[in-house]
Amino acid sequence: MELFSEIYSCYYRVLRHLLCSQNPLTIKEIYNRICQEGFEESLLSIVPKIESGAWDLFQKNGDLYLSKLSPFFTTPLSALEKSYLKALLSDPRIGLFLDEKQRETLWHMLASVPPLWKQEQFCYYDRFADGDPYQDKTYRQNFRILLEAQKKHQYLDINYNSPKGNRVHHYYVPVRLEYSVKNDKFRVLALEQNPHRQKKLEILNIDRMETVKPTDKILSSSVDINSIIQKSYYKEPLKLHIINKRNALERAMLHFANYEKNTMKIDEKLYECLIYYNQNMETELLIEVLSFGPMLTVIGNERFLKSLKTRLKRQRDLQT
Amino acid sequence: MSDFQELIKSFPKIREYVRDFFVYGFKTRTEFKEKSPRTYDNQRRRLESWLTPYVRKDYVQKGSNLSLAIDSNLLDTNPLFQVWKTKSFTDNDIVLHFLILDLLQDGKSLTAEEITDFLLTRYETLFDVQAVRRKCNTYAREGLLCKQKSGKTIVFSLDNSLAEWLKSNQNIMDALSFYQMAGNFGIIGNVLLEQLDCRNQSFRVKHSFFVHTLEDAILFDLVDAMNKKSAINIEIKSSKKEMKSTANCIPLQIFTSTRSGRRFLCGYLNGSKRFTCFRLDSIKKVIPLDESSEYDELFTKLMQNHPRLWGVSFQSHERHHLDTLTMTLHALEPTEHYIVERLNREGRGGTVTRIARNTYRYEITVFDCNEMLPWIRTFIGRIISLECTAKSVEKRFYADLYAMYHMYGIASDNIDTTNASKK
Repeated sequence: MELFSEIYSCYYRVLRHLLCSQNPLTIKEIYNRICQEGFEESLLSIVPKIESGAWDLFQKNGDLYLSKLSPFFTTPLSALEKSYLKALLSDPRIGLFLDEKQRETLWHMLASVPPLWKQEQFCYYDRFADGDPYQDKTYRQNFRILLEAQKKHQYLDINYNSPKGNRVHHYYVPVRLEYSVKNDKFRVLALEQNPHRQKKLEILNIDRMETVKPTDKILSSSVDINSIIQKSYYKEPLKLHIINKRNALERAMLHFANYEKNTMKIDEKLYECLIYYNQNMETELLIEVLSFGPMLTVIGNERFLKSLKTRLKRQRDLQT
Repeated sequence: MSDFQELIKSFPKIREYVRDFFVYGFKTRTEFKEKSPRTYDNQRRRLESWLTPYVRKDYVQKGSNLSLAIDSNLLDTNPLFQVWKTKSFTDNDIVLHFLILDLLQDGKSLTAEEITDFLLTRYETLFDVQAVRRKCNTYAREGLLCKQKSGKTIVFSLDNSLAEWLKSNQNIMDALSFYQMAGNFGIIGNVLLEQLDCRNQSFRVKHSFFVHTLEDAILFDLVDAMNKKSAINIEIKSSKKEMKSTANCIPLQIFTSTRSGRRFLCGYLNGSKRFTCFRLDSIKKVIPLDESSEYDELFTKLMQNHPRLWGVSFQSHERHHLDTLTMTLHALEPTEHYIVERLNREGRGGTVTRIARNTYRYEITVFDCNEMLPWIRTFIGRIISLECTAKSVEKRFYADLYAMYHMYGIASDNIDTTNASKK
């Protein structure tokens, strides 16, 4: 079994789509397809092979290219893919997606396949201890209702216990389901029903939901979730100076790899890193920066710097 | 540039480049010292081609910096999966792939000779029977084809029942949409999803560290050795010192940090008779050795050691077997109860005791308290005292704290140095 194999390559995928086309294709249609699905320069490699007949997979009829394959062509699963699926069947979260009957069917189809890995071979040593209850029946039901509603842009009637202990009741349309690897929790990125306010993303923990009920209402306008997230970022990013001691540079680059960032070298030992973030990320980012100690220096923005200094002053006061 | 090829033969070579561009998005052409400028130019052009939407160029004094601007909050998949889809192949490879699989779609079993004949009569393509047999055998090994003996002949067939079942099952596509972002070997989930002509439009993953997919080939070899309970020889290149070395060990578990995504192999070194961890991004090659007769026993021993592990270190700098760290914290009741919750949730089995109003003590005994310092620092602003049987840990904590006071201009002259004096 090979992970780096041409059978999973981008070119094979592009060709499969071209070959499964029901209609003969013009060279322009082939160009467009390659541009949409291939890499930036794939056109330069694929088109000459099709035109020259080196990839003898089309019959040429005048200016048209007709696939030699059946339009119902299906690629079978490789042993690697089957083995991957078998391993997923032991994941505690699989019950959120597949019901018992589906899990049994898949298990039966993969009876002779060994799992690619076993749960006990992996240890997430710093994962939080209070992960979501994936085996809980109500949690699973709520998860499925939320996922269906997300796909249909359907409003849901949600009763929610806020972290501050308040009971909140609102109509929300789920836009994405967000999983945190560190917290081992699912949250819902949702828009609240309020025609008078600008669309703002709310973040709701699924395990804090008391009841989730579908409604008949569908969100009619489209939602550009990335635009909403990007608009929520502070205009002024966090500006850090990193002193490359105790391997801090590499650690910081990897640690902050999940944020949009830009790093520049100032001199042999000093680097500047800009990190873009929003209010929801602020506290977490602050404690992440603190965890590096003096290896990182916060230069700006003022707001972040102020929060950091407040923590340090409070610490100083506890020692005096 | 006429010989430029977008696809590549070998993954390990490109792995280093992608990692450097991703992690250190500030190196110019002159700073990539290990390779010739021409190699650098070709690799850079490939990366730009594969990862176009994410490539950012910044112009600086010594040239242009190429970096990857990837904000995991905005993505439905891992852009670096593209790197896995770049394996080069021959003209025969791709033509045989589609024609053989198409020919066998109806489930019939054919010999290599019959397949060769059909390729000519049905598809008007002429192939050598040896080339067809070779491809069929390769695909039988990869699991795409079934290979069976029928009398004295070998026949090949194709079973699409699983692919058809998956295609008709929306729930499994939802599962794959999720696992390709959040699970082990996400790249396999991603290619499966593409094979089913589906893409993730439902899930996002917070705390997702995309760069680590580049280690998946190494992870694959390690998990394979674990499944076979065999020992391995690994080639390691230290990122700090650029030094190469090798080690023989019995691979037992993969340790993953959810805070940085960094993964480690935890193995047992026969030579020094101890457990140790190797960063996956420092492992360059895995060579399987013989099966280990003591595998299960060592795995049990490792499990027994788990409660004493904070992270990945089995031994402190001070060479104590175990050290105890005690931290006393201020948390205002009841409004700051979330601090107590944090200690319970993140404290990895340490005890949390309320010792007075608004005051809590956290205590844990582990192999290496030095590993705890980054986590301890996240409580800055609340730490009343910190004590550790490994004095170097206390010393480093307070030294770093004073350095931070100094950096941010916070007067620290009148601090009670009772703890600090222990340094």
